[in-house]
Amino acid sequence: MAVKWDIGQPCTWYDVQTELPAAAEVVVIGGGVIGSAIARELTKYTPDVVILEKENDVADGTSKANNAMVHSGMGEEFGTLKQRLNVKGNAMYDDFVRGLNVEFWRNGMLVLFAPRSLGAEITANMTPEQVHEALAVNIPGLLLQDGVKKGIPGQRLVEREELFQLEPYVNPDTFVAVLDPTYGIVNPYKLTIALAENAVMNGARVVLNTLVTDVLVEKGSVSAVVTNRGTVKARYVVNAAGLFADEVARMVGDDSFKIHPRKGATLLFDKDLVGGLVRHSIAMARIPPDPHTKGGGAFPTVDGNIQFGATATEVDDKYDTSITAEEIERMLDRYPYMVPGFPTSAVISAFTGVRAPTGEEDFVIGPVEGAAGFVNAAGMQSPALASSPAIAEMVVEILHEMGVSSERREGWSGERPVCPIFSRMSSKDRESLIKGDERWGHVVCRCETVTEAEVANAIHGIIPATTMDAIKRRTRVGMGRCQGGFCGPRVAAILARELSIPVTAVTKDGEGSELFCCDTKVLLTEMV
Amino acid sequence: MRRLKPDCAVIGSGPAGLAAALAAWDAGLKKVVLIERDLELGGILPQCIHDGFGSIVFKETLTGPEYAQRFIDRLAGTGVEVLLDTMVLDLGADRKISAVSAAHGVVEIEPKSVVLAMGCRERTRHNVLIPGFRPAGVITAGLAQRWINIEGLMPGRRVVVLGSGDIGMIMARRFCLEGAEVEGVYELMDHPGGLTRNRVQCLDNFDIPLHLSHTVTFIHGRKRVMGVSVAAVDEAMKPVAQTERFIPCDTLMLSVGLIPENELSRKAGVELDEITGGPVVDDTMHTSVPGIFACGNVVNVYDLVDYVTQTAETAGRGAAAWVQAGGPEPQPRIRVLPGRNVSYVVPQYVTSLEREVNFYFRVEHPEKAVIARVSAGEEVLARKKAKMVRPPEMVRARAKPREFAAGAEVSEIIVDVVGADTAIEGAGDE
Repeated sequence: MAVKWDIGQPCTWYDVQTELPAAAEVVVIGGGVIGSAIARELTKYTPDVVILEKENDVADGTSKANNAMVHSGMGEEFGTLKQRLNVKGNAMYDDFVRGLNVEFWRNGMLVLFAPRSLGAEITANMTPEQVHEALAVNIPGLLLQDGVKKGIPGQRLVEREELFQLEPYVNPDTFVAVLDPTYGIVNPYKLTIALAENAVMNGARVVLNTLVTDVLVEKGSVSAVVTNRGTVKARYVVNAAGLFADEVARMVGDDSFKIHPRKGATLLFDKDLVGGLVRHSIAMARIPPDPHTKGGGAFPTVDGNIQFGATATEVDDKYDTSITAEEIERMLDRYPYMVPGFPTSAVISAFTGVRAPTGEEDFVIGPVEGAAGFVNAAGMQSPALASSPAIAEMVVEILHEMGVSSERREGWSGERPVCPIFSRMSSKDRESLIKGDERWGHVVCRCETVTEAEVANAIHGIIPATTMDAIKRRTRVGMGRCQGGFCGPRVAAILARELSIPVTAVTKDGEGSELFCCDTKVLLTEMV
Repeated sequence: MRRLKPDCAVIGSGPAGLAAALAAWDAGLKKVVLIERDLELGGILPQCIHDGFGSIVFKETLTGPEYAQRFIDRLAGTGVEVLLDTMVLDLGADRKISAVSAAHGVVEIEPKSVVLAMGCRERTRHNVLIPGFRPAGVITAGLAQRWINIEGLMPGRRVVVLGSGDIGMIMARRFCLEGAEVEGVYELMDHPGGLTRNRVQCLDNFDIPLHLSHTVTFIHGRKRVMGVSVAAVDEAMKPVAQTERFIPCDTLMLSVGLIPENELSRKAGVELDEITGGPVVDDTMHTSVPGIFACGNVVNVYDLVDYVTQTAETAGRGAAAWVQAGGPEPQPRIRVLPGRNVSYVVPQYVTSLEREVNFYFRVEHPEKAVIARVSAGEEVLARKKAKMVRPPEMVRARAKPREFAAGAEVSEIIVDVVGADTAIEGAGDE
């Protein structure tokens, strides 16, 4: 069957409201992966759901800048909400992404036990035999026992011979490894966009560029959400505001938790130069743990790159997405040990996301006393991406108890069609698409082989991409080794044309990030 | 779907591709295809509106567009088929090319020979790991050049430049001419990265300060660049904390090096030189894969377009000769090795000393009053005096054709740079 895809059609299929509605049954504050997963889950029961997002796109905060990891729960303290929802969420993932057309790959995690796994202060008083015993037998054994207790299926010890068959490039001094086959990787921003778009297809609305400034409570129940663009009456409000969840909770008098931002920086490597060097996610046991990373390691991405990271640095500013020289140095010092000979000069990008933990370091999910109808989904940090299906289910169960219908709607569909990806098509399919629309024959991004058709499609998507970064997240333009040097002018021109704006109004990521100050010659007239 | 079976397919129509296609045609190939991903010919030349092109090839200085036009005009008089707006997606060791274009859909090409002329790309902020935020306003010099000279758009009004490569210095001047303010150019090394003439004409003449042994330590601004921190670096090139200072600006322009664009070469299994980043070639610009030739900046980043043209003409002629000889098996080759104060030499191999060979190389460190030599054992094949040699400025030494059987069997050729005094004592002086 010939491939066919009409660009721009999704916009007319589904009712995307950019205007703020006067009222909604449920308002979800925050269009990250958590808010989007909750909204989509809610649409199984009610279509009257609105996501309010302060940025120009969904997945424009922590959800776009993390290690894309679907954890198993191995790293979480037993009995915490995080641990339980992580184990449950991981098991739900295949069903969760089914129909969304999002890349999800259970590539498995290998935790290496290598000489540097034990700090020098520990090994100082140990014989080499004792070190070997500890790292090859005792500590991996404890990890496996712990996994059984937490209900993580399939974990097992991998001896050296098998390890080097699975991963020929890992440190040859490794004693043993623990394989956790349930670990996976997903494209976190594409997942978020898919969840939000699927929610829209099922009746929800996503309103962007809308900052919540207050949540009104009348007679002990939430009544409305106030934004910079007006007020939305609401019977139920879900707080999925990520880094800003504590500020939103305080709007209804809940000051029981505080979000302390902790940033994580990541280095991304050229897929042509490092692709396939590791196929599992590779981490290394470390006792005592390094306070500056949360585990971290060398992880493949669903797009074939490999990333090093992430660091963990407490910061004051929730918007501190910078990477410091120290963080770069730490990563380049630490992770190549796991994969010696890794070409660290093949870095093509570095990015930083900010985690949103509370002081207790656990998820905060539940109702708030004195504000009936309000539910927190806060304290989100790793493994929130992995837990997101279970978090969404839990939040919706709480809303059912509060009064949201628990009757499944007829006609709900988890299917979300996705624009074909040119780089992965056969020649025959390419030929057939170009015949239908010549924009498929214009390759605008040479590193990632993205066509004008895909860019135009993103701009006219269910949740329209209106910035360079939003297009990048949907199509991969500019994500390759030249980082936009070739495609930048082409994509900016397409964006301006499709949105009917001057190129000087094109932004990287919303207002204030304009690419240009003016046309040429204008500065010369200013000087006169 | 289009299928083509030319004698030669040239990938890229910058200065290298244009000259290679013309040379292949002039050498007698009947079917030559020139493939260009952009809407017009010339590669990067149309945006290089400054002059300085062609002093060797045309004995006059032209602008980039003028230089390109000389070749485009000549092309019009040939039967070379030009495929514009056509992106090559794949190249096999069997030389099969898979491309795509809006006009023709999928284009499958099975050429008898291929000339790689994809040029190079710019290193980005991430390649050099500059810490900080990722705002709008961090651009490479070549991209700034395209924005200003082709698109008519100003990327910023107050610019800090990191790196003193040629395009960086040329674009610093361009920003000045457009009424923007260039706060300064910061260079990690203790010497400028580009040609001396560009330093004088683009920086000194416009009072743009050049800060050697400095680097950018942090990019500030979450949405748009608000400023950069700069610092002096020590001998180990590490920033010295006490010297760090903040410079308000809305643009950071980078000129931190070029990387030969060899994704297709890699796909075809072409052997690459770790130092140049480009294919290992012989004196006919033949790569390690039979029938695949390479020229210009895909092989090595040249500092003069004239050198690019010369290597391209060699490659075009080489491809034609190889096709006309029926695609012969590889012949024994003589290895070319860098000697004293030479970091690398192109070509890396020579097949025959019976024709003229141009050796292009860079020195490891600046040196005054030298002689560059190309020698085979005791025999000096070429020598060239120079008042001064510097790493950014490529040296070319031309070895004249050696008369048949005039010399002994040659197993290795060494290119080195020696002090003028040393050389005079050596054998084979003129």
